[in-house]
Amino acid sequence: MLETNNNFPRYYIYITAGLFALLLVYLFNLQILNSERFKGISEKNYVRLRNIAPIRGELYDREFQPIVLNRSSYNLYITPASIENKDNLVSFLSANFKISLDEFKDFLYKNRFRHHHELILAQNIGFETVIKTSEHLNYFPSLTFKSETIREYQYPNHFTGYVGRINDQEYARLSDSGYTINSVIGKSGLERQYEQLLRGENGYEIMQVDARGRSLNLFKHNLYKPAEHGKTLVLSIDNRLQNYITSILPEEHNSAVVVMDVSTGGILAYVSQPEYDLNMFSVRISSLDWESLMTDQRRPMLDRVIHATYPPASVYKPIIASIGWDEGLLDLETEFAECTGGMQIGDRFFNCWYEDGHGKLSLIDAMKHSCDVYFYDLSLLLSLEVLEQKTKENHFTVHTGIDIPGERRGFFPNRRWYIENYGRNISITGQKVNLSIGQGEMLITPLQVCAYYNAIANNGNWIKPHLLDRIVDKDIVRVVDPEIEPLPYAKENIEAIQHSLYATVNERYGTGMAARYPGVDVYGKTGSAENHMGSETHAWFAGYAKWDSEPEIAFVVFLENAGGGGSVAAPIARRIIGYYNEIREQ
Amino acid sequence: MIRSLRNIDWSLFILMLLILIYGVVIVYTASTTKVGDEIYTSNYFIKQIAWILISLTIFILVIKLPYSIIDSLIYPIYILSILMLIAVLFTPGVKGSHRWLSFGLFNFQPSELAKLATVLVLAKILSKRHINDWHILSRTFIITIIPFSLILIQPDLGTAVAVVASAFVILLASDLPKFYLVLLLTPLLSVVTSVSLFLFILMMLLIIFVLYKMRISYIIMGFTVVINTFIFAVSPLIWNSLKTYQQNRILSFIDPLRDPLGAGYQIIQSRIAIGSGGTFGKGFLMGTQKNLEFLPEHHTDFIFSVVGEEFGFIGSSLLIVLFFLLLYRIMRVMNKLKQPQTYLIVVGIASFLTFQIFVNIGMNMGIVPTTGIPLPFISYGGSNLLINIVAIALIQKFMKERSVFE
Repeated sequence: MLETNNNFPRYYIYITAGLFALLLVYLFNLQILNSERFKGISEKNYVRLRNIAPIRGELYDREFQPIVLNRSSYNLYITPASIENKDNLVSFLSANFKISLDEFKDFLYKNRFRHHHELILAQNIGFETVIKTSEHLNYFPSLTFKSETIREYQYPNHFTGYVGRINDQEYARLSDSGYTINSVIGKSGLERQYEQLLRGENGYEIMQVDARGRSLNLFKHNLYKPAEHGKTLVLSIDNRLQNYITSILPEEHNSAVVVMDVSTGGILAYVSQPEYDLNMFSVRISSLDWESLMTDQRRPMLDRVIHATYPPASVYKPIIASIGWDEGLLDLETEFAECTGGMQIGDRFFNCWYEDGHGKLSLIDAMKHSCDVYFYDLSLLLSLEVLEQKTKENHFTVHTGIDIPGERRGFFPNRRWYIENYGRNISITGQKVNLSIGQGEMLITPLQVCAYYNAIANNGNWIKPHLLDRIVDKDIVRVVDPEIEPLPYAKENIEAIQHSLYATVNERYGTGMAARYPGVDVYGKTGSAENHMGSETHAWFAGYAKWDSEPEIAFVVFLENAGGGGSVAAPIARRIIGYYNEIREQ
Repeated sequence: MIRSLRNIDWSLFILMLLILIYGVVIVYTASTTKVGDEIYTSNYFIKQIAWILISLTIFILVIKLPYSIIDSLIYPIYILSILMLIAVLFTPGVKGSHRWLSFGLFNFQPSELAKLATVLVLAKILSKRHINDWHILSRTFIITIIPFSLILIQPDLGTAVAVVASAFVILLASDLPKFYLVLLLTPLLSVVTSVSLFLFILMMLLIIFVLYKMRISYIIMGFTVVINTFIFAVSPLIWNSLKTYQQNRILSFIDPLRDPLGAGYQIIQSRIAIGSGGTFGKGFLMGTQKNLEFLPEHHTDFIFSVVGEEFGFIGSSLLIVLFFLLLYRIMRVMNKLKQPQTYLIVVGIASFLTFQIFVNIGMNMGIVPTTGIPLPFISYGGSNLLINIVAIALIQKFMKERSVFE
C-alpha cells in the first residue's frame, strides 16, 4: 500500500520544520528585537487590570423606608509584593490597626500565591485613624486606603441575612463570574437569595500607559467599562409593623411571628426572637462575638420562622377537618363520638384537653372548643396514606418556596418510618389518633401555618409566601407576580372552615376569644403543642382578619414553651391586629 | 527490566528524558513565588515527578507486552475512553468545564486517552484491505466524530481539534486517494470565504481545477459545487442568527485582543513575560511576570511563558529545537516501518504531538488562538504526560520489533 506514500515522512518533517522555524522567528522578534520594550513594561507593571466594584443594591420596605443601606467605610489594602522595611511595617500595623505579628505572618502565608494582588487587610477604619495614619503611608508603599461601602442593617432581623468576604470555595466556584478575592457575597437570607440582582456587574479599566503617560497601545478595544450597580429591592415588609411586633413579643420566650398580605402573599412582618445584630458581620466578626453567638443557649441565629420545626397541635385541626370533608366523611351536621374527657381506642384511653368532656359536637363546635375527641374519631376513618398525601396538599410538611434559602420542610411520618423506628408491632391507629390533633411526630414550620391560614382567607387560593415585591432597575420598577396554587377543595368545604374559625374567635366559649378586636372580623385557631423541650406547651395562634368583609392580613403567632395558645398567643395576635388597624387608617 | 530497553531507539528515548527533566525544572519554578528572600513553592513539581516515574514504569510495561495483546486491546480501550468521556460530563464542572474523572488519589482526563485510542483505531481500520473507499471514509468519520463531539462539549476545543487533526493526517498518509481530503476540506473553506463572493468564486474555480486534474467524475464535482454553494449561502444567515455575545466569543477567539479581560489579557501578559526574558532570560526563579497574578495557568497551558521569561531566547529556542529533534527522530522511525498499521499509528502520534507543541507555543506568543492545550512533556498534569509517554513507548516498541511485523 505504501508505494504512493513513500514521501509522506519527508513532507511531514518539512512542514514541521517550517512551523517550528515560524515559532523561532516570532520568538526572535519578541525576545531579541522587542525585548527592551517588554522589559520596560514588565519592570514597571504598567499593564494592570483594575476591577471597578459595583455598588450593592439596597433593600427597602413597602413604604420605601430603609431596611439595608450602604454606608461608606475606609478599608486598608496591602500589596505584599511591594512590602519594604517589614519590621517597621509590622509595628506600624500593630500600633494603629491592632494587627499582631502572628496574624500578619499568617495573612501573608495564606496569600502567598497572590503577592501582586491588593488584599484587604483591615476594614471599617475610623475616620480619625485614617487621617492620623495617612501621612505615614508614604513610608509604606504596600499600603493604601480605599473608600468603599459596607452594609448597614437598620434593625435586627432574620430575613435579610448578611454579607461577608468571599471564602475560598465560593471564590473557586465564582472567580469566572467577576468575583475577586476581596469580593463581598451574600451569605444567608435575602442577601444570598438575590445575590445576582443585588451584586450588579463589575466594571474594569485597563491601564496601559508608561511613566510619561504615553499609551502602550497593547489593546485596541474596551479599555474602560463602568460598573453596573446592583438593583434596589423593595420588600413587602412593613417596617412599622415589623418593629411593633418585635417590641411587644415577650423577651423571655423564643418566638416566631409572620404577618402576610392576604391578596398578594407578600410578607408584612417576619419576626423570630431572640434577634441578633447583623451589623456584627459587616466587619470581620470578632471571635469573641462569634463565640457568644454560637454558644448562646437560646440560639439567636436560628430563624424560627423557617429553619425550626414544631408540632402544629390544634392549628392543624382545620386541615384534618377539610380532609374528612373531602373524603365525604363529614359535613356541617356530622357528629362523632361523644367526648367524655377523652376516648377509649383499643387498649388505650386518649385524653381530650378538656377533662370534663365536651359531649357530642358538630364540626363548628368541635373546632370552636378545639375538642380532641371529634378528630380522634375522624382519624379512625382515614388511612395514614390519605392523611399524609392530603396534608401535603395543604402545603404542610412541604417547602413553601419562600425566597429565603435553607427553608426546612418539616416532617410527616409514614408507615415505613414507624416500622423502622418502633418495630413491626406498632399500632398505626394510635399514631393516627395523635396525628389528628397535630401531635405525634408531625413537624411543621410557622411559615407553613401562616401560608395555610392565608389560603383559607383567600377562599382556598394558596399563594407562595414571598418577601421580594418590586425590583428597581434605574427608573424601571418590576413587580414580582404572586404564584397561586388553589387548594383542591370544594367551596363549601373551605366555607365551613372559615365559619369555624370565625366561631372560634367570636362565639361564646370559643378558645380564641382573646383575639377579638372591635370593628374587625377576626378569624383564627388556637393551638397548644405538647413537646419534649419543656413542660409548658408551645403557644400557637393563627388566623386572619377582615376589614369591611375583605380579608387583608393573615398571621401566625408562635411562642416556644409559653403556655396555652388561647391565653398567651391570641392576645398578642389581638395587639397586632389593633396596630395594623391603626396604620391602615393612616 | 533494563534488558527490555535493549533494542530501543536510544536517541529518541534520551530526547524524551531531556525534555521531561527540563519540564520538571520549569514546573518547579512556575509553581514557586519568590518575594524578597522568601520562597513559596507548591508541591506541583513533586506530583509531576511522581507522574513521570509512574509513566516510565508503564513505558517499560508497554515495551514488554506482546503486541498481539496490545492489538487486541485497541477496540476495548477506544470504547472505554468513550464511556469515560460520557461519564465525565456528569461530574461537577471545574471553572465551567467537565474534564476530569476523579479516582480518589488522582484525577484523570479521559480526553487524553481518547486522543491516543482514536489514532490506534483509525490506523487499524485504514491499514485493512478494502474495496470501497466510501465505506472506509464513513467509518473513519464516525470513529473520529464521537470523541471529537464529546470532548468539544466538555468544552475543550484544543484537544477536540487535536483529535481531528491527527485523524486528518492519518488519512493523508494512508493509501486513500487524496481528492477525498480536498473534498473534506472544502466546506471549511466555504465557511471562511463566505465573507466575500469574489473569494468564494475564486476558491470554487480552484477546487474544480484540482478535481479536474485528478480526473474526478463530473457527478462528484457537481455534488461538491452544490454542497459548497449551499454552505456559502447559509453561513451568513447562521452568523446573523447568533446572539451578539456568541458572535463576540467567536471574534475574540480569532482576535484575542478583543477580549482584554479574558484571553486577551492572558496573551498580553504572556507576551510581556516572554519578551522581557530577552536573550538570556531573567534567571531561574527570577521571573517577575510569572507571579500567579498575571498568568493563572502558568504551570499548565501558559508554562512556555515561564521558559521564555526565565531562560530567554536561548532557553526557549533550546526547547523548540529539542522538540524538533524528537519529532525528527519519530519521522526516522516512521520511514523504517513498512507495516501499514504501525506506520499509521506513528503518523497519528507524531501529528498530535506536533499539533499540540505548535498550538501551545504559538498561543503563548499570541499567534494562534487560545484553546487551552497543554505543552507535551512539559505542562503540569498527569494524564497528558502519561498518554504522551505511552505514545512514545508504542513507537519504541514498533521500532524494536519491526522484524516481527514484516
